[in-house]
Amino acid sequence: MSKKILVVDDEEDIRKSVQKILEINGYDVLTANDGDECLKKAEEFKPDLILLDIMMPGISIDEVVKQLKNIKIAFMSVVRISDARKRGLCSQDNIMDFFQKPFNVNDLIDRVELILNEYQT
Amino acid sequence: MNKDKINFKNLILSKINRKLTLLFIIVGFVAPALAIYYFYTISIESFAVDITNDQTNLLRTIAAGILILIAIDAGFIGFLISKTISKPIKELCDATHKVDKGNYSIRLETKSCDEIGELANAFNKTTANLAKIREERQEIDRAKTEFLSITSHELRSPMTPMKAQLQMLIQEYFGKLSKDQKKSLEIIMRNADRLDNIISDFLEISRIEAARLKFNFQETDIAQIVEETIDFMKAFAKEKNIKLTTQIETLPIIEVDSGRLSQVLRNLVNNAIKFSERNSKIEISTKLDKDCILFSVRDYGCGLTYENQIRIFEPFYQVESAARRKHGGTGLGLAICRGIVESQNGNIWVESKPSKGSKFSFTIPLEPVRDIKPIKVLFSNKNTIERKIKEEFKTVLGPLGQYEFDELKNKNAIDKNELEGYINFLIEKFIISNKCGEDFKSRINKIFGNEKDIINNNYDSYSEYNKGELSI
Repeated sequence: MSKKILVVDDEEDIRKSVQKILEINGYDVLTANDGDECLKKAEEFKPDLILLDIMMPGISIDEVVKQLKNIKIAFMSVVRISDARKRGLCSQDNIMDFFQKPFNVNDLIDRVELILNEYQT
Repeated sequence: MNKDKINFKNLILSKINRKLTLLFIIVGFVAPALAIYYFYTISIESFAVDITNDQTNLLRTIAAGILILIAIDAGFIGFLISKTISKPIKELCDATHKVDKGNYSIRLETKSCDEIGELANAFNKTTANLAKIREERQEIDRAKTEFLSITSHELRSPMTPMKAQLQMLIQEYFGKLSKDQKKSLEIIMRNADRLDNIISDFLEISRIEAARLKFNFQETDIAQIVEETIDFMKAFAKEKNIKLTTQIETLPIIEVDSGRLSQVLRNLVNNAIKFSERNSKIEISTKLDKDCILFSVRDYGCGLTYENQIRIFEPFYQVESAARRKHGGTGLGLAICRGIVESQNGNIWVESKPSKGSKFSFTIPLEPVRDIKPIKVLFSNKNTIERKIKEEFKTVLGPLGQYEFDELKNKNAIDKNELEGYINFLIEKFIISNKCGEDFKSRINKIFGNEKDIINNNYDSYSEYNKGELSI
């Protein structure tokens, strides 16, 4: 069975783009447009990986991350990883990677594959 | 003798209260003298003839005594009165000096309601206005940096889906493409990349300007960083069959941000590759130079004219628009390098000759600078100052001045201390006279002084002003 990935971003175009990229590469993709929806869908569908935008309206990202301790997370953001680190976002064990927007499609696929394979072993 | 006289004159006339006291003594002497003189002559006449010599003498002594007493009295009163006038003036004068040094929080007490009180009020109002203007300017400056940062982020967001969709198209996610379609998409992609590079460079500049540039200092073997960076760049040099050689002296292990160092080096080597002919070479050297480490990147490419050497570190300045199209790049690379190097109190400069090649050098101090200061990269006022200094050079040294100025500018030696050293050198070598040199110095100082307020228009001097506020 193919792996499930939840893509969370408040921008529809980004959601759709990432969804398409991942689907073509054989993943099952769900999307959510904010933190609340993300938590709800994570609970419901138990995805293998969540691609999570750092800056979204609504519930704070720290809160979202705190409640998702058992699912692998990779951040996507226009800010740099150093800024995210400064906010203390990267301290949890289940945070696997950081995709700097705009990302390279091949790079995204390679790294997602790596994360999911690591998870298996 | 003559000198003593002038000094005596200065001694009395340089202070208002001394002047006024002298005036009161004179008035206090002359007015009663006249009164007593008339009183004396009238009383002598009215005493008829039988007045004795003794009585006359007594009268005279009394008259003289009264005169002296009145004069001393008048002088004393004059001193007190003048003190009340000169004291607030002195305070005003001290306060003005403080304002000149940038302390706008100073206020005068207005006890009296006369002209001096009015003057003090006017002074307070003007200073308050100046403080407001400075605050507004700092606000504008912050707003500029903030604006740059926000817009860059906002511009970056739409780049994400754009680039993602483009890459999917090019990689034929949605079906086969014809040759022409592919070519067209590649052009779009290349320019999207370029736009993205400009945006990230803008973000970098906004960080430098707001002193938000992060340095991650770690004890590092500089030689290793240089070797690694050069190895990385070799892949790019290979395309033009350019040989990269390194010459690294034994260096002490120092604390440095290896990422930033590598960023600056990569940028310089990348430029060197861009402007080198095929099959040429680039030499990279690193050595200890007093209390800093000196890096240089030497190429044998097309070199730079004087005009270009001077402007090469300005944002968006590229040597030729044709070269720009050929080489790509954002035109911000060297400006960013300057920002990074200068925020570590280092220096960056270029030496070059057209068609002979260029040598870019920069220094980093052995001690890392942890307290990062904002550096103006965009719209810096450096240009105005430099233009004024150049004018001075031309006035003092004639046509040679232009050449000398350019030379100094290439060494990035246009700061107050360096220029003072340079003028001292001119005096020592009898190129200009002592007096001429001193005048030159004071005019240069004035240029920096005039612009001081603008240069200091950053947050660290802001805290200094705040300190001043507390002490008053």
